[in-house]
Amino acid sequence: MFYKETGQFKSKYKEELAAFPLFEDKIGIGILGVLTFLVIPLFGLPGLNYEFAMGAIMIPCMIFIIMTLGLNILLGFAGQISLGTGAFSGVGAYAFYKFITIFPDINIIIALVLSGLVSAVVGVIFGLPSLRIKGFYLMVATLAAQFFLTWAFIRVSWLYNYNASGAIEGPNKEMFGIIMIGPQSSGMTRYYFVLVTLIVLTWLASNVIRGRIGRSWMMIRDMDIAAELIGIRPLVAKLSAFAFSSFYVGIAGALMVFFWLGAAEAESFDINHSFLYLFMVIIGGLGSITGSYMGAIFVWVVPVLIKEIGKSAFGFDAFVMENFSTILLGAMIIIILILEPHGLARLWQITKQKLRLWPFPY
Amino acid sequence: MNEKAPKIMMEVKNINLRFGGVVAIQGVSFDIHEGEIRAIIGPNGAGKSSMLNVINGFYHPQEGEIWFDGQKRPSMEPYEVAKTGIARTFQNIALFKGMTTIENVMTGRQLQMNKNIFWQMLRYGPAIEEEVQHRKRCEEIIDFLEINHIRKTPVGSLPYGLQKRVELARALAMEPNLLLLDEPMAGMNVEEKQDMSRFIVEVNEEFGTTIALIEHDMAVVMDLADRVVVLDYGKLLADGTPKEVQSNQAVIDAYLGVPH
Repeated sequence: MFYKETGQFKSKYKEELAAFPLFEDKIGIGILGVLTFLVIPLFGLPGLNYEFAMGAIMIPCMIFIIMTLGLNILLGFAGQISLGTGAFSGVGAYAFYKFITIFPDINIIIALVLSGLVSAVVGVIFGLPSLRIKGFYLMVATLAAQFFLTWAFIRVSWLYNYNASGAIEGPNKEMFGIIMIGPQSSGMTRYYFVLVTLIVLTWLASNVIRGRIGRSWMMIRDMDIAAELIGIRPLVAKLSAFAFSSFYVGIAGALMVFFWLGAAEAESFDINHSFLYLFMVIIGGLGSITGSYMGAIFVWVVPVLIKEIGKSAFGFDAFVMENFSTILLGAMIIIILILEPHGLARLWQITKQKLRLWPFPY
Repeated sequence: MNEKAPKIMMEVKNINLRFGGVVAIQGVSFDIHEGEIRAIIGPNGAGKSSMLNVINGFYHPQEGEIWFDGQKRPSMEPYEVAKTGIARTFQNIALFKGMTTIENVMTGRQLQMNKNIFWQMLRYGPAIEEEVQHRKRCEEIIDFLEINHIRKTPVGSLPYGLQKRVELARALAMEPNLLLLDEPMAGMNVEEKQDMSRFIVEVNEEFGTTIALIEHDMAVVMDLADRVVVLDYGKLLADGTPKEVQSNQAVIDAYLGVPH
């Protein structure tokens, strides 16, 4: 980076263990905070329609970042591969729906946390095979979760309150006198709610990862035999990773349906979505929180932008652009993975390293 | 060490370990005194590493007993053994490759840390106090092993000799009563071997840690060890001070071969 740690001495371990030990990093985070809290809600994104910028870019992006964080905890930090992310997000969404319809007076935050917990429990149940199997075999076991749960979302009509459409829909619901979800809620309130959720969840995740529990996950990932020898119980470490990851994924699923889409059916939680989230994690970088941000933003925003630019600047019709953006995204992903198999986060790290020395070659 | 009244820390009695038809260890018994450096030697495939794995709880012998601290130990899983204060390093390095040196050493403190997930999530109050307190201890160990300069380097990119040293640091961070070293000096040059030997002696003398080590370099073994166990083909060949073992005809035969 064009700044470095030189001259910033820490005299306490506590200072060194802080999330952003460098002064310049703190400034950077402050600028990001001002941008997301004030500038973007007021002015939108440059060159884009305001409604479009908020509804099709900012809100889904933030929700997908939470999703990616969740999957990254499992895959990147604990090394347990899962293809059931889409279904686990569905568990969160359906649980949230049940909570707000059974208890109409429930606080949204409480409902959100509870649905995250329901998803965590389901995640632990389907994570049980990880105690015996690893890698591709585990992937197949989680695939079973994916198919079973999406089947349940369609067949168990109790989940969507026996309505004819088979979809779950957010009713208008208030919190502290403001309508938060449902057709009458404003994009601005939902934006702020998702933003604050994202910040809180990122902060919690980064804390857990840097502490005892996060280390136990990484130990299992890197060398499970040595981890066991140091006193880690594989059962506890693996299942806690599944629980924590599914908690995030479940919350993201609930946010996705009720703070973005408004209504959803079982298709929103199918295997294609699991692949999409896996994509985001791998492109972003395994085992990195920054990577989760970058991966989700890249995979979601690039195709949207390509479509938008194609339509407004070149006058192509939407159908052509749809296909074109898929092709372009595919090509870009291949190029990135050839350049840097460890994802955007590593690319960012290398850039920072190079910038430290710049303009001297070594 | 204390020759007059040696306290027996660990005793293995008549261990038999088989993998299907393959007999890895056959009726081996020996003891480890508190505060000594005990070497286990023998040709390749003699069952030395298997022996450590039995002590560690990775392998469960078909027959035999393990006594630790004067009590017969029930069949235990590795993480339970870790709680009794036994640490170990591996023959081929088993560090956590994705983590930095300090993180690797911190993993050794896992068992002593116990703040729950809610404090961990907040990383505030007790959780951060605990983190700092253990970090201090780890920094002392890092100082002791002279690996300060690589504190923040990912261990995957370190040279072999340093990786071995980080692994020792991680084991020491557990503050074990009994430290098992599986070929701590394999693949090192003379200088690195001297450093490592110095560390082993210092650990033994300063921390009073009992050490059991497997090593192929006889010069090192004879210098370091208080007593030596010799295994061959899974059987106990000899047991005694380095001098006794050196002059034992069976040991010489096993190492040099005998004309048939």
